Amino acid sequence: MSRQPEESMKCEAISDDLIEFALGTLSGRSRSQVLDHLESCAHCDAELESLAGVVDTMLWLAPEAEPSLGFETRLIERYRASDTRRLTVRRRRASVLAVAAVLVAVLGIGVDAVLTTHGGATNPSTTVRPTSSQLTADGVVVGHVTISSGSPSWMIMDVDAGKLSGLVWCEVTLADGRVETVGKFTLSHGYGSWIAPIKSPGSLVRSARLVNTHGTVLARATFAT
Amino acid sequence: MRTHGSYNDEASDEALLSGVAVGDDRAVLAFVRRYQRRLFGLALGIVGDPGMAEDVAQEAFIRILRHAAVYDARRGSVATWTLTITRNLAIDAVRVRRPIPTAPEDRTFLSLISNDRSPDDAASMSESVTQARFALAALPNDQRRAIVLAVMYGRTASEVASLEAIPLGTAKSRIRLGLAKLREAAAIMEAP
Repeated sequence: MSRQPEESMKCEAISDDLIEFALGTLSGRSRSQVLDHLESCAHCDAELESLAGVVDTMLWLAPEAEPSLGFETRLIERYRASDTRRLTVRRRRASVLAVAAVLVAVLGIGVDAVLTTHGGATNPSTTVRPTSSQLTADGVVVGHVTISSGSPSWMIMDVDAGKLSGLVWCEVTLADGRVETVGKFTLSHGYGSWIAPIKSPGSLVRSARLVNTHGTVLARATFAT
Repeated sequence: MRTHGSYNDEASDEALLSGVAVGDDRAVLAFVRRYQRRLFGLALGIVGDPGMAEDVAQEAFIRILRHAAVYDARRGSVATWTLTITRNLAIDAVRVRRPIPTAPEDRTFLSLISNDRSPDDAASMSESVTQARFALAALPNDQRRAIVLAVMYGRTASEVASLEAIPLGTAKSRIRLGLAKLREAAAIMEAP
């Protein structure tokens, strides 16, 4: 790596500071000067990387030690309490599920109760209890789908799948083979919860699936006939 | 929260961090179990007090777990990343408690200087780390002390000069020469 004499002098001038930079003990103006120099000097940049590698290896020399009993539990609790992203997702999901619970009660058990009140013996074929199924991807459960069979019918989907993220389409396949697109939703960090109306009667839904924007099926759920 | 799949001892650090990044509790637990002795040991070595070392190690874990999603493999291994975060936090903690640098004689982290080490520890070290340990042990005593003060305790050259009662130039040259020899030893080992 050839350097101009002037450049080489600059490198020489900051060599001690470069060592302190690699050790993480350089601050203030000296640190800024090193950073400025590194912007334009590949030689010192490589030198820094090499020095930092030595420092990194040194950290492995510290002997391991057993923390006190309960360290792990205390840490996990502290982490959970501090993980605002997960808390936000959980709160959002909890609020959606709370609405879902109300809908299920009104559309499912509520109508069932009305039928029971007015019709005496309840015909099983006319009850509108919601049906639920697990949403799976490659044999792994990644969420749940609930479909009410009232009119209108509603789909409630709860996804908790680490590897699925971004925009997804939700489709249902009906008893006659027709496919209905329920809507377009977004998975954030693998999580998603939503409620959407289905145009066709819920009782006709035989399966549901999540499809990405390329048309690949990401997960599916089937419902017993 | 539901979790899917599991993480065995052979799962890579990167795989665990990916799991942590998407909120998988099992990945969090596996990661903590893998690194807790290492991080706590480093923190204890630097701060010298078990209570303070636990605070440092816990804070280090929290930062690592929170930033799992932005970990960039191009900037170093997961292990190096976690150890560096722990070291920096430990050094900061010591500086807050003891603004005036003290000699490390009152700390528990003297094994590197005294050269004592249990066979179990030696057996668990990788070849490059074992080599680094030999290289450190082979340094002249004054250089070894300067290196340990600078690398493990985060002491500046000026502080090393003050602690060792030597001129600043001497402190700088001890650190420089010590690092150069350690690097040379590492290079010899990497050579075919």
